[in-house]
Amino acid sequence: MPLVELVNVTKRFGKITALNRINLSVEDGEYLCILGPTGAGKTTLLRLIAGLLEPDEGEIYIDGRKVNKVPPEERNAVYMFQNYALFPHMNVWGNVSFGPIIKEWDQKRINDVTSEVLEMVRLGERKNAYPHELSGGMQQRVALARGIASGARILLLDEPFGALDARLRVNLRTQLKSLVKDQRLTAIHVTHDQEEALMVSDRIAILRGGRIEQVGSPQEIYTNPKSIFTISFVGGANFFEGVVSRVNKFGSEIELRGGLRIHVSDRSRNVGERVVVAVRREHISLGKSRRRGFNNLLGEIEDVMFVGGSMEYMIKLENDMTLFSRTLLKGSSTPLRRGEIVIISFHPGECRVFEYPRRGLLKEIEAI
Amino acid sequence: MAWKIIGINLSGIVISCTLIAFLIFVVLPSFYLISYIFLRWDEVWYEVFANPITGDENWRQIIMILLFSFKLSLSAVAFDLVFGVPLAYVLARKKFPGKNLLEDLVTLPLVIPTSGFGFATLITWTSSSGLSRLFGSTRLLSMNTAIPLINVPFILFIVHVALTFPYLVRTVETKIQSIEETYEIASRTLGASSLTTFRKVLLPLSIPGIFSGSVLAFARSLGETGATIIVSGVSTTASIAIVRWASEFKLSTAAFMGSLLVLIAWIMILPVEIYVSKNRRSSWRHLHIPTNLSMKIIKFERFLSRKLSIVKDIVPLIIVVILIIIPVVVVISSVTLYWSADPYTGRVEGGVVYQLFGPSRYLDLILRATLTSVIVASISTYIATCISIPLSFIIERRRYGHVLRTMLKVPLIIPTSSLGLSVLLLWGASGLCLVNSGIWMIILTHIVFSVPVIVESIIAAYEGSGVQMYEETARTLGANAYSAIEAVSLPLIKGGIFTGFILSFTHSLGETGATLIVMGRDTTIPVLVVNMVEALAIPAALFTSTYLIVLSLVMLVIIRILTQG
Repeated sequence: MPLVELVNVTKRFGKITALNRINLSVEDGEYLCILGPTGAGKTTLLRLIAGLLEPDEGEIYIDGRKVNKVPPEERNAVYMFQNYALFPHMNVWGNVSFGPIIKEWDQKRINDVTSEVLEMVRLGERKNAYPHELSGGMQQRVALARGIASGARILLLDEPFGALDARLRVNLRTQLKSLVKDQRLTAIHVTHDQEEALMVSDRIAILRGGRIEQVGSPQEIYTNPKSIFTISFVGGANFFEGVVSRVNKFGSEIELRGGLRIHVSDRSRNVGERVVVAVRREHISLGKSRRRGFNNLLGEIEDVMFVGGSMEYMIKLENDMTLFSRTLLKGSSTPLRRGEIVIISFHPGECRVFEYPRRGLLKEIEAI
Repeated sequence: MAWKIIGINLSGIVISCTLIAFLIFVVLPSFYLISYIFLRWDEVWYEVFANPITGDENWRQIIMILLFSFKLSLSAVAFDLVFGVPLAYVLARKKFPGKNLLEDLVTLPLVIPTSGFGFATLITWTSSSGLSRLFGSTRLLSMNTAIPLINVPFILFIVHVALTFPYLVRTVETKIQSIEETYEIASRTLGASSLTTFRKVLLPLSIPGIFSGSVLAFARSLGETGATIIVSGVSTTASIAIVRWASEFKLSTAAFMGSLLVLIAWIMILPVEIYVSKNRRSSWRHLHIPTNLSMKIIKFERFLSRKLSIVKDIVPLIIVVILIIIPVVVVISSVTLYWSADPYTGRVEGGVVYQLFGPSRYLDLILRATLTSVIVASISTYIATCISIPLSFIIERRRYGHVLRTMLKVPLIIPTSSLGLSVLLLWGASGLCLVNSGIWMIILTHIVFSVPVIVESIIAAYEGSGVQMYEETARTLGANAYSAIEAVSLPLIKGGIFTGFILSFTHSLGETGATLIVMGRDTTIPVLVVNMVEALAIPAALFTSTYLIVLSLVMLVIIRILTQG
């Protein structure tokens, strides 16, 4: 039985529908990321689960019990704000023992639980420090400890790394995940950072404009995106607009602007249908010779960008379309230069074909 | 689940009790004042317009007094604007040693009991122990020396400037602080001089603050009673007229004047409130200046910025010194001067000691008045705090909160003597007939203006400390609504509650206008100063004023410590 389940949940603020018929279930012990752009309704979703908001329609179940009207304190789901909301007028000990004290456990149990949890997050020695005296990472650990000590089984994390600098963020991701897993907690983690979501979660739910676009494991989301939005939001891709000109048993042929033709393995589209073909940057290779069985197009390198371990090239095709290609930088290889004419090749199997969106491609990719 | 059922009822009970108390104690009196006019229109008509003996003499007086009051208030606000806005800018943007002290000095007239301050100013400018000692003449000014052109007595004018100055300066200062400095830096790096930057960037952005500051200052000046009654001499302002008529039992005339003032205050404030709440950026767009003229202005401003940068820092400072510091120093030094005997005639009867301990026994009066003042301030502030804490929560959390907040502005802008009159009419013999004039009615009156003061202070703390986020976290950690408030919210806004308490306590200690009307036979210290001045017991008045000023300085220090820690 799933631990948290949302059935047809809708939430409106005045005329704006923040969440529209959301169905989502989270298993016990799972680490779920809700990934979406700003304004997608991620925080609203989290606040609904925490009980800080009430849904207008639909039901929320925790542990099989309908909790629509249950106040936050009876849900065992602790909400962690971006800046952790450590009570500024209490020290570390006071913050961590807040839950046990408020739940009126006996004194011995309060002390035992608090010191045990503090040891667990390696903050036993800082128990008399006040929140403002701690580093960002320590504050996060105190917030986690406070949640665990209160007996919560569900952690609701609202952009937990938003307030930290980039380096610390990467370190803390793994720390957070291992703590959650060690304590057998269930975590629902809201973020707009796709890299973060791919790295920490067991499953990802893509949220956009108040609707769930896709739910799946990180690999599934990355390799098998169900929509143009998902592929562009997670990882990004090159998009070709075109019309299906031929379908045979090996795949289909798509005619692009300017008469260029590319082959794709997908055979599900009909001739004459308007489509968008997406190819990931890393699946596009550049070379001097044509490759058999690949799509081969001619282009000129417009710009070269060095991004850490790889090179990113901006290429102009014959039909004036612009493409991006990312290649790993290997020891001996010399990067291509601006103005060079190259052959761009990508495999038909790496092409994903989508129906042409009604609102237009640009609107569809827009992160709203 | 049992607590939940109780809990829901409990919150309903708390909310309704708070709202009822708020409506009865704070809102009802001023509405009653206006309705009084309609309920007893016959009486008002008879007294004001159609008196068989004097005819409409009262009505003509009302018009004259109102015109005079307006002239006084408008000129005071104009003066405030010219010197207050630069000072606000300096306080908001510059860091310099002694800035805290300067801020305290500007705030002093907010804290200081106005009758004491009025007396100090009077002594400074008109008596032989004041400034004239510096210049060798016996008297610098007479009480009725008028400023040319506007024909307003000089003393009255400077007292009103000093008392309204902090309202304008503090409001504009807060507004300027909320505007990011980046705009100014951008403008300066784009080549504008500091004056041009001020005119084209900062001024349009801070217009809402300047508007609301001016309105507050204007309302304050219109309603000022305590100091005015001491320095007014033969001139009469609207609020003094109310006090006088109320003491002559011309209640209908007083009520008529009172509601006129309330209505005028509202008519002036509502447009500004709406303007400010719409947060419009600028109303200067229609003001078209031809390019060559604006070039000249900019050039002139560049010239002036270089030459006059110090002037803008120094002039407001000098004004603060003249208007606020000197009177305080003079009154304290005069006490020592008059301590044992009148320094000019050498008569012991003219000394402070004789008046305090001699046959008139002013010390007894002072002690009794202190007791009354402290009792009034403690009880009214305590009750007001009890209403204000839940009220602030309701204002912050309920959708109708902003309506309550606007209603709370009423007691802040209506003249205090109108306020006192409204309480007298509502609770006294001609209204509900529940309370007689005296200490309990003073308490009722002081509650009216204490609630807004405390609520504003709590709300500032509430909004500044992110209470909602902490409370929500506490809820998800297992605290129910009440323990979350108790364990998290209240400690977080503790500072705001204390500050509000002290502010309101100080306000209550110094209030004169409303107290004069409702006090009956009980006297508070500021009223005692008025009485002493009227009885020409100058040394005793000197001593009491000093005592009041010292008391309020102590309060100011306490506020400083609280708001910093």
